[in-house]
Amino acid sequence: MANELNVDIRKWHADGPAIAAALLVPLGRHSVTVLFGPSGAGKTTVLRAIAGLDRPDAGVIVCGSEVWYDGGRGIHLPPQKRRVGYLSQEYAVFPHLTVRHNVAYGARGDSVDNLLARFDLASLADRHARHLSGGELQRVALARALASQPRLLLLDEPLSALDAPTRLRMRADLRQLLAGVQIPAVVVTHDRTEALALGDSIAIMIGGKLRQAGPIESVFDAPANADVAEAVGVETICQARVLDASAGLVTVEIGRVRLAAVDAGGPFTDVFACIRAETVTIERGPSPGPTSARNHLQARIVSVTDEGPVARVVLDCGFRLTAIVTRQSEEELQLREGEHVIAVIKATTIRLVPRG
Amino acid sequence: MEWQAIWLSLRLSFWTTLILLAVGLPAAHWLTFSPRRWKFLVEAVVALPVVLPPTVLGFYILMAIGPHSPAGKLYAALTGGMLPFSFQGLLVASVLYSLPFAVQPFVAGFAAVDRKLIEASWCLGVSRASTFFRVIVPLSVPGIVTGMILSFAHTLGEFGVVLMVGGNLAGVTRTVSIAIYDDVQALDYSAALHTSLLLLGISFLVLAATYALRRRVWAVWLPYGQ
Repeated sequence: MANELNVDIRKWHADGPAIAAALLVPLGRHSVTVLFGPSGAGKTTVLRAIAGLDRPDAGVIVCGSEVWYDGGRGIHLPPQKRRVGYLSQEYAVFPHLTVRHNVAYGARGDSVDNLLARFDLASLADRHARHLSGGELQRVALARALASQPRLLLLDEPLSALDAPTRLRMRADLRQLLAGVQIPAVVVTHDRTEALALGDSIAIMIGGKLRQAGPIESVFDAPANADVAEAVGVETICQARVLDASAGLVTVEIGRVRLAAVDAGGPFTDVFACIRAETVTIERGPSPGPTSARNHLQARIVSVTDEGPVARVVLDCGFRLTAIVTRQSEEELQLREGEHVIAVIKATTIRLVPRG
Repeated sequence: MEWQAIWLSLRLSFWTTLILLAVGLPAAHWLTFSPRRWKFLVEAVVALPVVLPPTVLGFYILMAIGPHSPAGKLYAALTGGMLPFSFQGLLVASVLYSLPFAVQPFVAGFAAVDRKLIEASWCLGVSRASTFFRVIVPLSVPGIVTGMILSFAHTLGEFGVVLMVGGNLAGVTRTVSIAIYDDVQALDYSAALHTSLLLLGISFLVLAATYALRRRVWAVWLPYGQ
């Protein structure tokens, strides 16, 4: 209880769904909690409530031993007293100030020059904010937030205002920046790749309600219900290491299993390997002949679950792999728990998300 | 040419504008950002001088600041003087009369400031008052300047209110428009023509400046343009 942010709030909306969210964020060390869900799920409202910009209707927000909001006792601390670094979607960099004055705006201590250097802004220091690009604005906003020495960073869709190439670059950069500052962060996003690339733990919000929270892999791997499964996409997600890359093809290692995949496009070593259940093929016995698929894995069937016309087959092939096959295939191949089969995955269907 | 009246009018306009800046900025801030539901009532009161006949407004002000009114008694106790038919009384009337011409452009300026910038400032630990001066005011400069120019011009041209509250004392309450009225009454058309022409010229220049500002012709001079 002592060193975490405890959010448990409710808010009723005249238009749109009511908000109900309970969330624990560890404090005092680096961690990235992703608040994930489709647009209009109420993620931003939760973030604004934590920042003190929106007042919930009921519940509590407690940061360590400090009560920020208590509906019952009528406590609502203004944003000035909460010491959070809040980044809105468009970064809200002051257009009438230079980069340096932006960063120095709410600065505690004399960290401004350090931050300008660290965020690669020294050469832009005297430039007016309205002449900056999206990526530069984001760096200014982050540096400005950090200059006020916040206890917690709140980032609302930090990459959505950027154009596609910049977004890709900043995704990797942002994770490193967040890891470098040793301040816990809550990141709102509706983009699955962003969630995977940035988060350590994830909280899924759908229709105003927080449905599931936990370590990112466990939530993606084992969605609590159909709604969450739909929101995250039913996929196998494994932490993997890139071993080598040649001719656009890379070898990644998941545990002790090696897989061929298509290059993620960058000098990354730590990645998430995402495999959609629909793209996994199951074969019996020795391979019937040469195929175009690059990956053939020995696997043991962990479980088979019938879901209408299809069956969900969970395989153990050194890592957990989920496959979806038709009921006919299930019958023909006699897929039963404990049986040994071969899982076939095309290299092109494995998506690699860099983890910086 | 009625130099004394022109000088008086300019002084009156200057002080009115200055007072309106001090009174109008907080009022506009409240009108823009207050969550109160009944603030439309205050908006209506502030806008009243736009539609009310100046004589009606002048009559009420005369009643309100007269020697038997609470305000008049207080003023007499403090200064020993009287507000009606004095420069100070005229100033009070002018401030009320030109209030909407200052407050409405101020409100428009404040409302155009991106709310996200204000919230960003709060989250950086900067108080609401400080945010007002460091973010809202610099980003509302065109609105604020427009409000000041319009207050100045509106005060310069007032007639009905001045006549009701100030009367016609040379060097004290005899403003340009009253001087022109007097000239015409005295059939001194040539004096009226010259003074009118001057007032027309000043008014045109002031309005041209206002519209130029809105079209950001002066963006180069005002680095804080929106």
